[in-house]
Amino acid sequence: MSPVSLALLVLLLPLAAAGFIACFLRRRGGAASFLSIAVAAVIAVGAFALALGGNRFEAATEWLRLGDFAFSLGFKFDDLAALMLVIVGIVGLCVHVFSAGYMHDDASRGRYFAGLSIFMFSMIGIVLADNLFMMFIFWELVGFSSWLLINHWFGKPAAAAASKKAFITNRVGDFGFLLGIVMCYWLRGTVNLSELGAQGAAGHALFSRAIPLLLFCGAVGKSAQIPLHVWLPDAMEGPTPVSALIHAATMVAAGIYMLCRIEVLMVPDALTVILWVGAATALYAALCAFTQRDIKKVLAYSTISQLGYMVAAFGLGSVRGIDERGEVVVVAAGVGAAMFHLTTHAFFKALLFLGSGSVIHGCHGEQDVFRMGGLASRMKFTFATFTIGVGAIIGLPLLAGFYSKDAILALAYANNRGAFAVLALTAVLTGIYMLRLWLVTFFGAPRSEAAGAAHEGGFALGAPLAVLAVLAAVGGYFGLHPGAFSGAFAGVFSLVHEAAGAAATVILATSIGILLAAAGIAFAVYRPAKVSAAGDAVEASAPGLFAALVALKESFDRVYDYYIRKIQQRLAMLLNFIDIIGLAGLLIRGGAGLVGMVGLGARALHVGKLSSYVYWFLAGVVVLWLFASGVL
Amino acid sequence: MISASLNAYIAVSALLFAIGFLGVLVRRNTLVIFMCLELMLIASTLALVAFSRFNGTMDGNTFVFFILTVAAAEVAVGLAIIVAYFRKKQTVQVDHINELKN
Repeated sequence: MSPVSLALLVLLLPLAAAGFIACFLRRRGGAASFLSIAVAAVIAVGAFALALGGNRFEAATEWLRLGDFAFSLGFKFDDLAALMLVIVGIVGLCVHVFSAGYMHDDASRGRYFAGLSIFMFSMIGIVLADNLFMMFIFWELVGFSSWLLINHWFGKPAAAAASKKAFITNRVGDFGFLLGIVMCYWLRGTVNLSELGAQGAAGHALFSRAIPLLLFCGAVGKSAQIPLHVWLPDAMEGPTPVSALIHAATMVAAGIYMLCRIEVLMVPDALTVILWVGAATALYAALCAFTQRDIKKVLAYSTISQLGYMVAAFGLGSVRGIDERGEVVVVAAGVGAAMFHLTTHAFFKALLFLGSGSVIHGCHGEQDVFRMGGLASRMKFTFATFTIGVGAIIGLPLLAGFYSKDAILALAYANNRGAFAVLALTAVLTGIYMLRLWLVTFFGAPRSEAAGAAHEGGFALGAPLAVLAVLAAVGGYFGLHPGAFSGAFAGVFSLVHEAAGAAATVILATSIGILLAAAGIAFAVYRPAKVSAAGDAVEASAPGLFAALVALKESFDRVYDYYIRKIQQRLAMLLNFIDIIGLAGLLIRGGAGLVGMVGLGARALHVGKLSSYVYWFLAGVVVLWLFASGVL
Repeated sequence: MISASLNAYIAVSALLFAIGFLGVLVRRNTLVIFMCLELMLIASTLALVAFSRFNGTMDGNTFVFFILTVAAAEVAVGLAIIVAYFRKKQTVQVDHINELKN
């Protein structure tokens, strides 16, 4: 099988599965889940075969031609796409298997698995797309599948509202993305990624800044950056495996992936904006995570924070290095660091989400961590894998997150010390809130009946945790050894910036210092003895600080609420008024009235007397005659 | 023999046409209106024959043959309609032929 047809198979198989389930297996959840998991397994195998087979290709076919405008669909399969495809394949398969256990008793399993399959189709489409238009199509499709899956329990008002919020918030970002694509096509004449790469980031100074920033709007929406991050915590209303796959590992990372795809369009000013949006998001979301009691929402804010980390890493941009021959080369280290962290984050965050799913499953739907406690002894396997995940995210040496976070910090240290300080502070906060989650959930005495009777969930829930735990442990070595897997991902990982000399010592010291500070504070504040079911230790001891954090967390929602209620709603009322009075009243009714009056007059002529018609005819002839003789 | 000029023929033709048109305007009996219409046709036929005669071409005469043919056909259809209408309504006064109005 040729690589192109294999890629086509990997892309279209989940769509076919989703269609088949939607048509025939809606009532047969068992068969639907089997089909969907089998397809996910084929995708994972296909992804590995494509990535490791050494095939790197571009293929395109014309889909639509409108005058001079040709719209092509095609694949651009380079190392970046290969890496992303493998991540989607692995995490996708793990989540599918986990879902089989987690959703076993759900009445509408068929719809759920069809949703997962259509998500896989959309996501793989983004990964393989060779032009921005095609990427945009699949970009919207992942938004749709995200809506579908958040909304899985649509009977819950919160879930229905959350899905709408996610979709609408994403639309705001996508509008900028679309404008960016149109502007790119208008000014560059192409949206093909390779052709754009050949052109480089030239052009008018204003537009060369505007294009990457408008495209970045898409990433702001999809990857939940300030100010469009508000949808992601709410999206946790969806089933937990969905949160793991879509709202942690893959879809929200699509924004970072898209940025890496259009790296050639970046100019320094745009990168600076991206850097600070990412850094602000990372810090802000880390602070918000302290206020949360829901295990999934803590992880959601942690995801936003880590996505901010990746965006900031991308925004740090290139470094000048010296290659083996002694020549100065510019290395796109931002891409390397962002994709490295994306990879390790996909593994450990999917692990953490699936672990939280296992905990929720074990506690019969309890999501409040302060009503858990003592799960370390009751759910030993989940505890062990969750611990690896926590270790990875807080940067415990030898685990994946340690290396990827250090790569970002090293790059920040080299390019921008201000960002370095913000990111290091974020790392400390990340350590504290993750250890808080870990300590409160797994240690101390059970604080509810459900937690006391917690149990493991069985093979389908355990196996994916084991796979992801291994990957979260060893995932960091890919970045250290770009040549691993016979260099399949070298095109990405060779870009990772490694600190040398004194900088390396500084980074290592910072990293260890971050870890020690975080652990010290977390163990001091959230000691199991201090935790009660009533609430947070910080809330009890420093209510002012806690209230400030809550206010910070809610500030965006409040502003949007105010904007929508007081400004947008009033504008809408004004427009409605103009519509009713001006359009419907004057223009439409007025027009109809005018025509009606003409009709009334015309009807008066129709008297029903033959002789009067003859007079009209005579008058007509006279008018025609006058017209013909030039009088009229 | 007095040779009539073209103007004389056209004057007669115009007079016939005016009489026919006036008849169409003022008369109320469908049958009479129909006869007046025929009179107008004949008036135009007369003019065409005169043109043909004075131009020395056959164009006008050709028209006349067509007009006579069409007029014959029209009379056949028109009279049939009037007869059918009379059988149904017992009248052919145009003042009563106004059913489409209501």
